[in-house]
Amino acid sequence: MAAQEAGLDGEFRQRVVDTMTTVLARLLDRAEPVTEDMRLMEELGLSSTFGLELLLELEDQLLILIDVELMDQDQMKTVGDLATFVAGHSRPG
Amino acid sequence: MTALEAVSVYLPPVRIPIESLAGPLGLTDMQVKLFRRFHGLREVGRDPDASLYDLLMKAAAGLDALRGQEHRVRYVLYARTMPVVAPYPVNPLHEVCRALGLDHALAFTVTHQSCASGLLAIDMAGRLLAADTVLAADTGDGQHGQAGPLALILSGEKAFTRDAQVFADTTIFGEGSAACLVSAFGARDRLLAYAANVRGEFDSATGENDARLQREYRPCLAEVMRRALDEAGLTLDDIRVVLPHNVNVVTWQRMCLLLKFPLDRVLLDNIPTSGHVFCADVFANYKTACERGLLQPGDRYLAAAVGAGGGATFAAMVFEH
Repeated sequence: MAAQEAGLDGEFRQRVVDTMTTVLARLLDRAEPVTEDMRLMEELGLSSTFGLELLLELEDQLLILIDVELMDQDQMKTVGDLATFVAGHSRPG
Repeated sequence: MTALEAVSVYLPPVRIPIESLAGPLGLTDMQVKLFRRFHGLREVGRDPDASLYDLLMKAAAGLDALRGQEHRVRYVLYARTMPVVAPYPVNPLHEVCRALGLDHALAFTVTHQSCASGLLAIDMAGRLLAADTVLAADTGDGQHGQAGPLALILSGEKAFTRDAQVFADTTIFGEGSAACLVSAFGARDRLLAYAANVRGEFDSATGENDARLQREYRPCLAEVMRRALDEAGLTLDDIRVVLPHNVNVVTWQRMCLLLKFPLDRVLLDNIPTSGHVFCADVFANYKTACERGLLQPGDRYLAAAVGAGGGATFAAMVFEH
């Protein structure tokens, strides 16, 4: 779902994407850049634990609290999907 | 029909913040933050002065319904997560039986389903008692109801090794214990259905299927929950409250999304303050549900547990209060 369709703050979502791709590259020890269209599990091999670590880093860096209880992992296929969720389901922390 | 006659739980008054465990357990700051923020674990119970025998006795001491009924207890089942907890020939279970005046009972440990062994013990106790009652009826000396035979289930463990204190990035174990009297034909907290799925391939010793276990964990647990409900002729809408295993909060948040079940009907109260109390979770959560007035006569509730270690077991039980 595009950010505009979801009624999201596009600028904030882009900050989420930028932070997420940087953190993911570090967490997964990846030399190649991580991009928005990459699939979290199949392509990046993101485990459940690393997924939570990613969310925690996003919270710390963006000073937000993410509504994890609303996050349906099965719907978070790509980096972009997760960024859209975080941008739409977080509040200042 | 198998029924829980009485439940007693002991949770140590001493609570240790999980930050204090980071050093001894070798947890990173990030792991501690994850446990606190997403897993909902804040502190766990420890009773440093109590041995395993002491822990089990403290739960049994609160079981008033056992007083004067010791002669009716035919089986004592110790439901346990860890396969070994004392050096041979020490056997805390037999020591507890002697102290409680239950030498005559057949005592044994149920451990091969890790943290799901508690539900297995309830099922086994009920079936053993029911079989005895059928045999007794055949020979004309059966006793039902208030004078019928009983089984005592004990659970609870010392967090005595690193493996007994933390499960990789998933949960932190807390000390505590529970004692539960089971009858074959009681009227209180009747067991309506039990479903379990034993998956030996998810053996944490090899770790080769860990990623698959992560993927299949919630669907497998949902499957046994639905199977138990089907067997009871119920749906999730009929369930007043789910008594979970206290693995962590985020697992149950995600289970609720998968099941489309309201999170506020899963009793998560004890996770932040007690952690995962091995096989005693179901009993501790049952007591909390009763104390909070969440269960009225006739309410149906569902207990669910996953035991992971040497294979994984997914288990669910449906009861009527």
